[in-house]
Amino acid sequence: MAIDVTEDVDSPTGALGGGLADIDTRRIARGLGGVVAFLALWTGASLTQPSYVLPSPLAVAETFYAEAASGALFVALGNSVLHWIPGAVFGTGLGVAAGIALAWSPYLDDVSSPVVRVLRPVPPLALVGFAIAWFGINHAGAAFIIAVGAFWINFYATYGGVEGVSEDLLDVARSLGVEGDLHLVRTVVVPASLPEITTGIRTGIGRCWMLVVAAEIFGVAGIGRRILRASNNLQVDVVITYILVLSLMYLVVDVAFRALQRRALAWQ
Amino acid sequence: MAVEPRVRVDGVSKRYDGANGPVQALDHVAFDVADGEFVCIVGPSGCGKTTLFRIIAGLEPATTGHVALDGGRVDGPSTDLGLVFQEYHLFPWRTVAGNVGFGLEQAGVATAERERRVRDLLDLVGLDGFADTYPRDLSGGMKQRVALARALAVDPGLLLMDEPFGAVDAQTKTMLQDELLDIWRETGKTVLFVTHDVEEAVKLADRVVVMAKEPGRIREVVDVDIDRPRERSDDAFIATYERILDRI
Repeated sequence: MAIDVTEDVDSPTGALGGGLADIDTRRIARGLGGVVAFLALWTGASLTQPSYVLPSPLAVAETFYAEAASGALFVALGNSVLHWIPGAVFGTGLGVAAGIALAWSPYLDDVSSPVVRVLRPVPPLALVGFAIAWFGINHAGAAFIIAVGAFWINFYATYGGVEGVSEDLLDVARSLGVEGDLHLVRTVVVPASLPEITTGIRTGIGRCWMLVVAAEIFGVAGIGRRILRASNNLQVDVVITYILVLSLMYLVVDVAFRALQRRALAWQ
Repeated sequence: MAVEPRVRVDGVSKRYDGANGPVQALDHVAFDVADGEFVCIVGPSGCGKTTLFRIIAGLEPATTGHVALDGGRVDGPSTDLGLVFQEYHLFPWRTVAGNVGFGLEQAGVATAERERRVRDLLDLVGLDGFADTYPRDLSGGMKQRVALARALAVDPGLLLMDEPFGAVDAQTKTMLQDELLDIWRETGKTVLFVTHDVEEAVKLADRVVVMAKEPGRIREVVDVDIDRPRERSDDAFIATYERILDRI
């Protein structure tokens, strides 16, 4: 038997080519204009101030180059990455897992809810004492601070996503032979809440770069410590240099993750 | 010895605790569906037909009474019952082929065999060529075809459909009804089809279970003894249609 499909098919709205479609020369020109204007303002302002208050963009560029040429920049970056990666990985993994478990199981939710509410408002920075006591002044200690920050972002994003999974999809899955919690979580809950979960991960890994500074406040080497020490010495050009490194790292990781996310969510 | 019915709905009642005291959603609903039969449940909104659908599907328990499928009590959703909903409920992250093959994957059917069966099912519902399309790019009628193929994939003993064509335009609805009848003939499935549309019920069903509301109960079971394809301009069609409409 053959049936003619005469209905209209909505054409895919170019979602797959979204990355390229975003490139719009007018927007790029405006963006460049904004950057030029910002640099001009900055240069103008720096002329009226001593360099330890506000160095000129050119002075910062020179410092940036010097730090890179001496290798100091890459050493600091390498050190930060060594606790950024485990912090982000553990914080994300545990946050997503806890978010799924608590949103899925009313029992676990009831049991953990009071503890979660007490722990949630604790800023990662307030846990520096624990980081030192439990892990020491090392990558593990700094990773702990970063992981705590990533944990909560991922926990809440995942929790919200899982809570929003349609009961009807679960019914359909059950009627198609899916049995047991783990099986349902794997076949329906996780894929259905992937948009929220991946948005949480993306927000979390960005936040982890911000936490790098906090995590290094107690002396672990890296970009954060460079920024803190340079601040104490009024080396504002060095401070700005390493802020730029953080921004660049954030940008690179975010763009890469966004590309991954788009591929994983091509169905949206 | 009498042949056992495929489905037996045995004295099913359902009470809810509403804001103004208990609500009797269903009151002693009882009927049988024979193997290979096409039965429609028709009734006005609020007559409890969706509640009845959910109880038969094992998605919620009856307060009293029970539903049996091939003699075994229904106590939860299973692959014996293929569900098709008005709102499709496709898995949006899966392609058309991924949706249709979902039940086969859970059953552990090997990839090559699964692909072959998915192809056959897509052919059956007229969606060959759309295997790799995601649900967001399908029209309502096409989504419902995918949902039907997905339900048929696990070869359920009963196809249970809740207002499946309620969300598509009139032209598509007529087309889907004809296709469903073709598929029913071709697969020999037993179909239980919930609708509020009397004309649809008369067009499709061997028997129509007519429900009334407050409380939700069976008013009458009407045999539709008209040869298919049925024309709505046909005298027998009109007579049956009016007879059912009178009871609602």
